[in-house]
Amino acid sequence: MSSHKTAGVARVLSGALRVWGVSASVERDPERADAFVLRTQSGIRMQIAPTAPYGWLVWREGRSLGTHKGLTGLLRSLREELAPDAAAGRLIIGSQSLL
Amino acid sequence: MSPLPISVVTGFLGSGKTTLLSRLLRDPALARTAVIVNEFGEVGLDHLLLEASDEEVVLLEGGCLCCKVRGDLVRTAGDLLARRARGAAAFDRIVVETTGLADPAPILQALMTDREIAEALRLESVIATVDCAAGDATLDAHPESVKQAALADRIVLTKTDLADPAASGLAERVRRINPSAPQLIALHGAVDASLLFGSSVYEQRNLALYESHAHTDDGVTSFCLRRSAPLHAVTLSLFLQTLAEHCGAKLLRLKGLVDVLESPGRPALIHGVQHVFHPPAWLEAWPDHDRTTRIVVISRGLDADWLQDLLEVLDEEVKACSIS
Repeated sequence: MSSHKTAGVARVLSGALRVWGVSASVERDPERADAFVLRTQSGIRMQIAPTAPYGWLVWREGRSLGTHKGLTGLLRSLREELAPDAAAGRLIIGSQSLL
Repeated sequence: MSPLPISVVTGFLGSGKTTLLSRLLRDPALARTAVIVNEFGEVGLDHLLLEASDEEVVLLEGGCLCCKVRGDLVRTAGDLLARRARGAAAFDRIVVETTGLADPAPILQALMTDREIAEALRLESVIATVDCAAGDATLDAHPESVKQAALADRIVLTKTDLADPAASGLAERVRRINPSAPQLIALHGAVDASLLFGSSVYEQRNLALYESHAHTDDGVTSFCLRRSAPLHAVTLSLFLQTLAEHCGAKLLRLKGLVDVLESPGRPALIHGVQHVFHPPAWLEAWPDHDRTTRIVVISRGLDADWLQDLLEVLDEEVKACSIS
């Protein structure tokens, strides 16, 4: 993963944490350039690393939380883990035509 | 049969909704209009097709008011359409007047999603009245009134004989809440009906009014995401899913014109109220010389940079998947 993309993913994760009301930081993993370390103010430490072709591996305190498909899967996993009470919606496509 | 236009008139208590509507209904252009109201104001609407509706609002687990509620409003609209179909009522347009305290979002969502009526109707415009005499105090004290203005396609400034909205700063305040909604001045309810009805609310010229940087006022943040390179269709789907899933009630309204990679020259028109979206419409051509994707977001506290990053990262991911 390019450093440009890595920085973008870090910003997306940080922004999502703010949306969920979780005080936390997201930093590059010093041991792996394309991975992240997430630390919450409450003391939770998570590691997040990409895995081919488009999955994400997540560990919490060294315990694996599995592989999550794509950024959408990663965000869902993090919300369920860190902000289980945050409102979770579902996209609904209506049947009314726009035009 | 082409869908009938339906418009929603909203606005806080005493802001002049009924006065506006009663004047509008005298306009010959609106002669064949059925009106659904859910409160009968002091000004009687002398109209043959006046229907009363009490919206049923049930607080569901998770705080969503819209998903499982099939309210009286929808039934009333359905009844009107049935009467029209059997020749018992003649109208070419429906206007819904909400209660002053109503959150318009569940009303719009019900109109968009209810299978019985959604295919027979086309959302034409959402009109919000803002009282120039009491507007500032109302916006200060009642978040419902801010949301009403934020969700509107047209803002009608009322009681301008009592206070000048430009001098008081109210017009600018409302513009910051909703920069894409043209503002109209009504004097004793008089306003040009053709500026409120008769065209699609999805006119893309309004998107051009947005600047990329965010405006925040009264807790409402509005901004326009722009992108010059086309997006993968899957990216658009993932982006909307992510917003719906994580942003919940923070997303008030989203409308946009999207350059989709798989549909060159035919942009997708998208529109949603919170997590409920119309099916995307595919235009035959771009409406103007600007070929960039423009997605206008009106929200409570969402960050423009975050959404821009989300869009870019999702598209990179989709691109990587389609190559691998």
